[in-house]
Amino acid sequence: MSERRRGTYGRGQFFQDFGLILIFLAVVGVLVVLSPDAFARPANLIGIIKQASINGVLAMGMTFVIISGGIDLSVGSIVAFTGVVAASFAHPDEYPLALAIVAPMLLGALIGAVNGASVAYGGIPSFIVTLASMIVFRGAALITSDGSPVFGVSDAFEEIAGGFVAGYLPYLPIYFIVVAGLSAFVLKATVFGRRVYAIGGNATAAAVSGINVKATLTGVYMISGALAGLAGLLLASRTVSGSPTAGEGYELNAIAAVIIGGVSMTGGVGRWYGPVIGALLIAVIGNGLDILNVSSYYQLVIQGLIIYFAVLADIKGKAGR
Amino acid sequence: MKKTLVCLAAMTLGATLSWAPSVLSAELKAKPEQKYALLMSHMDNEFTIQLSGAVKDKAKELDAKLTVFDARNEIAKQISQVETAVTQGYTGILIEPVAVDGLGPALGAAKKAGIGVINLNQKVSDTSVIDSYVGANPVEGGQIEMEFIAKAIGGKGNVAFLLGPLGSDAQIGRTQGYENVLKNYPDIKVVYKQTANWRTDQALKLTENWLQTGTELAAVVSNNDDMALGAVKAAKDAQLIGKIKIAGLDAAPNALAAVKNGTMDATVSQNTIEQGLMGMEALVKLANGEKIEPVITVPHALITKENVAKFMK
Repeated sequence: MSERRRGTYGRGQFFQDFGLILIFLAVVGVLVVLSPDAFARPANLIGIIKQASINGVLAMGMTFVIISGGIDLSVGSIVAFTGVVAASFAHPDEYPLALAIVAPMLLGALIGAVNGASVAYGGIPSFIVTLASMIVFRGAALITSDGSPVFGVSDAFEEIAGGFVAGYLPYLPIYFIVVAGLSAFVLKATVFGRRVYAIGGNATAAAVSGINVKATLTGVYMISGALAGLAGLLLASRTVSGSPTAGEGYELNAIAAVIIGGVSMTGGVGRWYGPVIGALLIAVIGNGLDILNVSSYYQLVIQGLIIYFAVLADIKGKAGR
Repeated sequence: MKKTLVCLAAMTLGATLSWAPSVLSAELKAKPEQKYALLMSHMDNEFTIQLSGAVKDKAKELDAKLTVFDARNEIAKQISQVETAVTQGYTGILIEPVAVDGLGPALGAAKKAGIGVINLNQKVSDTSVIDSYVGANPVEGGQIEMEFIAKAIGGKGNVAFLLGPLGSDAQIGRTQGYENVLKNYPDIKVVYKQTANWRTDQALKLTENWLQTGTELAAVVSNNDDMALGAVKAAKDAQLIGKIKIAGLDAAPNALAAVKNGTMDATVSQNTIEQGLMGMEALVKLANGEKIEPVITVPHALITKENVAKFMK
């Protein structure tokens, strides 16, 4: 209801969200019919949420950036760089485990702060800033790891993403749920969140109305960077190694999840749960195609077309406003 | 332009001089005026690091001046690097190509300019532009890996292939090797065959999804080690280690560690270091006017728990 009063949301938005959930349910429905024994198994459904989690964490950070009217291309490289750092600190009996956990997120936040400050204070377009840091930190990942995967991590480190609650429920989705929950809270219920929408809607108007646009934008990119650091930690733990080539293309997957989730590329518009469904949809499609044993060639075509039609439906939904 | 011409002239002169038959000596050494270029497809993984490291070691041993170029997996970049090597008057080029096609004209120009060209590891499709090819035959590597798995699962059962980027030379050759072997094992069925693009995370996801289908897998056969390790993690999470045989290829250090602790069953070494050493030696021999074979094949070696210690540093 508060959204309605702000005037950003209306009937179009209702159809838009409804459309997205409808598409998601339709895809799940089709897969359940095509593969009742394998796809619909509870263990597989949990597996899908697990596979959506790392992209989901990145997508939540990307949501802040895109709502603020920007883009963050550096997250894939931050995943690789922080993953290498995490794995390097995770060799048994060398450093405390806490360092392997805290360092990636701190580094990610720091890189995000530099990205954000360059956009906000330097006035450089976010596409350019984060394209540059995407290249720089891919290089940094290669330098730190000497070009090959860092392995030999401790069992405790592997547990971070690989562990199970009660031997059945994997940890990985918990991080996603917590991050999505916190993001929802910040976007909906805090002053900071409202400022992000205001800046994305009209930065000049936001500045005139007394919002510290520069500090807020720096914060937005810091959130995206810190979450990319968390994703780097989780990926390193999940794959039991820190690979300098990991995370290539992850920024595009995260952007896809956000866009499928109905967040407007022009900023100012979008709900927190859109990207959550977007990330789940991407994982569902990937899992379904693997289970149906669809050839790798066709998988690419199908994945591309689904993104295309999801966004097309989104635009049609808006036009119906 | 003028500068380029001068460079070209100097280079031709230099090349002519260096091609004069050398006095045969027992010990092979590069001449001080010679300079060599190593053109790598990329420097991002264990394999390329080992290969370029071996070339550098051999260059040092032979007193050869060596410059390393990294094409960062871009064919256009590697073409310009070949051109640079020509204009800069290099004596010889050792190239590990980004792709099998596309380098023909650039390498042809280098050869025409009198520069020795040796192709390392991945074989270019047009071999008329190179003096010699040094490398392992990927089909042989795939055969050794598949033969091991076929025996390990008793000649029957379902297997899944983790493939490299579709269309890459190593993916095609290694997979061809698997299929060659399977002709002799009619009771082995290939139930899945998908790409994970050399990546651990993609292979992990893919194997998780395969295991979800309930299809019983006797083995996962991977085009490289990084992907095999993704399968190892998926099998471990599903408590299937030991029940599913897993093999990779490349003998990467993390895979050797996994073979040693028993989570992975085998890997295959394409004797990367040997390829680098032999490639650099052949290049210096060529530059010193010695005759070298047009194809120098380095054999593969199977690595299992029994002999893994030998391959670990």
